[in-house]
Amino acid sequence: MILTTLEGVPGKTIVEHYGLAQGSTIRAKHIGKDIMASLKNLVGGELKAYTELLQESRQEAVERMVQQAEELGANAVVNIRFATSSVAQGAAELFAYGTAVKVE
Amino acid sequence: MDGLEILIFLFLLILGYFSGTYFEKRHYKSIRERERKTLHVPMVTFGAKQSLPEAQDAQLFVGSVVISVDYFKMISATLRNLVGGRVMVYESLLDRGRREALLRMKEEAMAWGANQIMNVRLETAAIGGRSGNNSGPGSVEVIAYGTGIR
Amino acid sequence: MFIRYKQPKKPPEGNVIKHSPLLNFAYLLGTVVIISAVIFVALGFFADWLAVRISPETERKIGDMLFHTISDEEIVDDKRIQYLEELLESLPESGETTRLPLTIHLIKSDVVNAAIMAGGHVFIHTALLEAVESENELAFVLAHELGHFQNHDPTKSLGRSLVFLVASMALGIGTSESGGVPDIVFRTGELTSLSYSRKQERAADLYGLSRAINRYGHGSHSLDFFKRLEEEEQEQGRLLKVSQYFSTHPLSKDRIVILNKAAAEKGWKMEGDAKPLPEWLHCPNMEECEPDAEE
Repeated sequence: MILTTLEGVPGKTIVEHYGLAQGSTIRAKHIGKDIMASLKNLVGGELKAYTELLQESRQEAVERMVQQAEELGANAVVNIRFATSSVAQGAAELFAYGTAVKVE
Repeated sequence: MDGLEILIFLFLLILGYFSGTYFEKRHYKSIRERERKTLHVPMVTFGAKQSLPEAQDAQLFVGSVVISVDYFKMISATLRNLVGGRVMVYESLLDRGRREALLRMKEEAMAWGANQIMNVRLETAAIGGRSGNNSGPGSVEVIAYGTGIR
Repeated sequence: MFIRYKQPKKPPEGNVIKHSPLLNFAYLLGTVVIISAVIFVALGFFADWLAVRISPETERKIGDMLFHTISDEEIVDDKRIQYLEELLESLPESGETTRLPLTIHLIKSDVVNAAIMAGGHVFIHTALLEAVESENELAFVLAHELGHFQNHDPTKSLGRSLVFLVASMALGIGTSESGGVPDIVFRTGELTSLSYSRKQERAADLYGLSRAINRYGHGSHSLDFFKRLEEEEQEQGRLLKVSQYFSTHPLSKDRIVILNKAAAEKGWKMEGDAKPLPEWLHCPNMEECEPDAEE
């Protein structure tokens, strides 16, 4: 599966498209990590635990998108975009979407 | 105001100022060094309307980072909220976040062998402040993503 | 064809303004403190201006409304009330009038306190009657409250808290809980109002002493109650509050000193004999009772 943020795949041509493919996850806060984060909020710096948590969630969203694309019969997803939105207090939705295509 | 309350407040303020400045200096040093090292690989935001470059391979790369405020910055910003004007203390926070996220994406792409990164996009999201009430950016998450080409 | 990349000499900068965070912080803190102090003082004067202009009838209505929300444990039909009222009425100078008739409310309480409310409601706790040792002391406490009333203090403080409440609601800072910073605004407000209420207390003290002298011909013994209460509180330590008197009448160490100084300046006589209290003032209806009798 080829993933790009471009309108196509370099060196290949799109022969067919299958419409939108998307994946999303909703993550609630993690209490343990939250306590650490609130301590870190006093001193500043990177919140590594949160970086990893969000990375994993985003990876999961990408995997779901890929799974959708595979079901559609695509071998690439082009023009991928990410977005984050908070749906409830303390919970964030991470989603990824793109166009499922077949390239040759 | 109780004496104890003032002491805690001052302690947190001073702690936040020194640790925050220290982390920021260290971070900027690392950012500048890594940016210089990776300068030869271009990152562009175009890629849709331009004709696609000749290449064998393309792959999605994502870099992300969550950067936290410190107490000193937070208090400064809340005071600034009452006064109005430019929140200078947060500028460095977001600047660091964007550059770090871009660097992480770029370094990953370069390890893969990319000679350029196209159609780069940036996203910023605020992650709730202390104790859940979204009164200010307790921290910001920045993600950068784009397509590496080799 | 693809666009050529011309590598820059160094990574671009310029999204962050170079500034001194500490100076920035000092500037912000100073601005917030000064502006809120100015606003609080200005609003305070506005409230005072309003309070003095309230008609006595309106004040009475406001006072009655407030009074009905607090009055409990009030003792009615007691000869002591009559005694206190007579004492209070004897205090103003000849020709001096109160804009409303004052009402004495005797409250059954173990805490030594006296207070005045808008509308001329004077509250006397029974514990105060046990704590005073001469009529001069009692007269000074009453005259002090009368001083507050003549100075429109109850309505002023009512107006102040009302104006501040409205102002903070309008600014929307009373409701937010963000990191203790709107606190700075309120702390400034508290400080300005604390210095204001100190001033009010001093004015009432001075009034009280002058009226006590007016009645007894001298200022002796009038301040003894003060001194005793202060000593008692210091002995007990801060944990055991003997009275609420100093929480509603903020104590500053120099209060007595200032009064003595003022008396010396004005040439007031500060020596004389104490007039004894009615013997059974601490008992219901001033009828003889056991020293430890429950009232």
